[in-house]
Amino acid sequence: MSVQRRFTKFLGLAAVGAISIGLAACSSGGGSAEAGDDDLTTVGFVAVGPEGAWREANEKNIQETFTKDAGFDLKYAPATNLDQKSQIDAFTSFVDEGVDVILLSATEASGWEDSLSRAQEAEIPVILLDRGIEPDDTSLYVTRIAPDNVEVAKEVGAWAVETFPDGGNYITLEGPAGVGVVNERNEGWDASVDGSKLVEVAAQTANWSAEEGKSVTETLLKANGNDIQLIFAQNDEMGLGAAQAVEEAGLKPGVDVKIATIDGTAAAMEALANGQLSYVHEYNPLFGETALDVVEKTLAGDSVESYIIVPSEAFDSPEAAQAVLADRKY
Amino acid sequence: MSTAARSTWLHDLVRKPFFWGVVAIIALLLLNVMKDPTYLAISVNPDNGNLVGNLVDILRASAPILMIAVGMSLVIATGGIDLSVGSVMAVSGAVAMVFMKDAGQSGSLGVALGAIGLALAVSAVLGVVNGVLVAYIGLQPFISTLIMMLAGRGIAKVITEGQNTSATNDPFRWLANGFVVGLPVVFLLALAIVGLVGLVVRRSALGLMIEAIGINPKASRMAGIRPSGLLLTVYVLSAVLAGIAGIMSVGTVMTVDVSRTGYQMELDAILAVVIGGTSLSGGKFSIGGAVVGALLIATLDKTVVFLGVSSSATPAFKAIVIVVLCLLQSDRVRGWFVQRRKPPKERPVPNAVAAREEVSA
Repeated sequence: MSVQRRFTKFLGLAAVGAISIGLAACSSGGGSAEAGDDDLTTVGFVAVGPEGAWREANEKNIQETFTKDAGFDLKYAPATNLDQKSQIDAFTSFVDEGVDVILLSATEASGWEDSLSRAQEAEIPVILLDRGIEPDDTSLYVTRIAPDNVEVAKEVGAWAVETFPDGGNYITLEGPAGVGVVNERNEGWDASVDGSKLVEVAAQTANWSAEEGKSVTETLLKANGNDIQLIFAQNDEMGLGAAQAVEEAGLKPGVDVKIATIDGTAAAMEALANGQLSYVHEYNPLFGETALDVVEKTLAGDSVESYIIVPSEAFDSPEAAQAVLADRKY
Repeated sequence: MSTAARSTWLHDLVRKPFFWGVVAIIALLLLNVMKDPTYLAISVNPDNGNLVGNLVDILRASAPILMIAVGMSLVIATGGIDLSVGSVMAVSGAVAMVFMKDAGQSGSLGVALGAIGLALAVSAVLGVVNGVLVAYIGLQPFISTLIMMLAGRGIAKVITEGQNTSATNDPFRWLANGFVVGLPVVFLLALAIVGLVGLVVRRSALGLMIEAIGINPKASRMAGIRPSGLLLTVYVLSAVLAGIAGIMSVGTVMTVDVSRTGYQMELDAILAVVIGGTSLSGGKFSIGGAVVGALLIATLDKTVVFLGVSSSATPAFKAIVIVVLCLLQSDRVRGWFVQRRKPPKERPVPNAVAAREEVSA
């Protein structure tokens, strides 16, 4: 702890030193305003760090986009154990350091007001990636770039309604109760499915896990005498587990029971190509290009929308899955 | 005469530590039957002759919990605790999956056996670390196994490079999903292992020695028992059993999920042991009790889903069942009921005891 504090103190000193040298250079040269040694734009990336395949693809993509060749010096600061405190520390040191832009994927939605206003005072634009903040004060940041959970789930629901015009029974496999993503995916799904002939016979949590997805589905199939036509799994893993339970119950996934999932990992694409899943909606992690575009616009002084939705693709047939399977990044 | 004999028999049964666990299982099953009268029905799948039914599912789900509960009850009997079983499950599952993924050959029995052997060997090594820290270094069991609990999941992540890893191998899959004479392999296997452990510890002096350590390590050493070696054995056994549980657990879906496989299973194991009537203070264990506890937890998990208890209310539902069960098991709570039912003639006896206690206090 004290080592860390000493280190931040040292960083602070170093920053002061750098600024004074910068000022000196300014007064003598009076030329370029940037303190950077060459023409690289410094970008501080306050990231989430190891969390799963999706996050890994996302952060790798950002790192591969903001390269030195593209004119950026990306400073990657992943959170330690998904801890918000470590993110705030990293954020503060980026502000003290005087980076040009900060990219932020917050582990927790709340508690960012002070840090964001400090960045604002230092005139450092902040761009939110994926995760939003709470309360959502759009004056504190430039824009939020993210795929839209509600929108994605709405599309899954629309597919379900279209596939089952005569209605049917369905079960929902949810993530852990109370998580923001779960609420948003439920909200989107309900928006499409409410009013249709589809009947929700059960909604249970399977904690994002394949094993629990299988166990829960197995019991729910028995509880309803196998009279289930559709399973909405809120992530790929649970859907893959459910497919195995369906098979073991003597039913055919894709024929007797259709399974729709969200995320679009390679494993799910493979299952879709094999006919085990019927519908996979991607939740696109690859938006480095969009972020790059926004950063350039912001630095040039152009205004951008306060919320940029990353388009995500839907895959509803084995052929569609087969087509993208070869170069699936996550 | 016969009524008296029956009442003492009943009395003995009620006093069995796991009696209330059995009652709770029956109550939960009844609850399910109330929702759906055909809940207990078991049918035969005409295609392959396997038994199909909710009870079969419960037996299958209970297998991994059985494994870790038996290991845990031995560790608890020595006065220790093993918090690392969930993480060891993840490590064992990760080792098995990565091995099979790299080996390929989805039909090969040799690959499956290799994966199981390697997974159990790695689990045993983790158990040795726990055991050495507790028995020879003298760290508290809570701390040493807590270290392993945190480190284990990290090790699993390193093994799988942070990814959820899937593999295909038919013999391995059969172990977790297959049937023999209509019953799930995984349950028969669990039963066989529990039987073996039970036989070894109860038919030899091993069980007695383990309990002796839990009652008083110093006295047991004076009596000629070597606690260090026994402690090490117990922790290694617990880890190997957790390794088996991990294999069963990842085998069901043939995927290891490094952050979810075995997640919080240590709590299930401790709960199963406590429900089975084993005191956490050590010096006593009951394999039968652990079996009942494990079955109860599996029944509870399945009941929550079958009844359609909403996801947000699930933890509360489970907690209520377990609190009620613990209250029923508590001698003091039962004492209140017994006292109230006793005829007034016998009143003076407990009063006298209380009075004497007051005097001595």
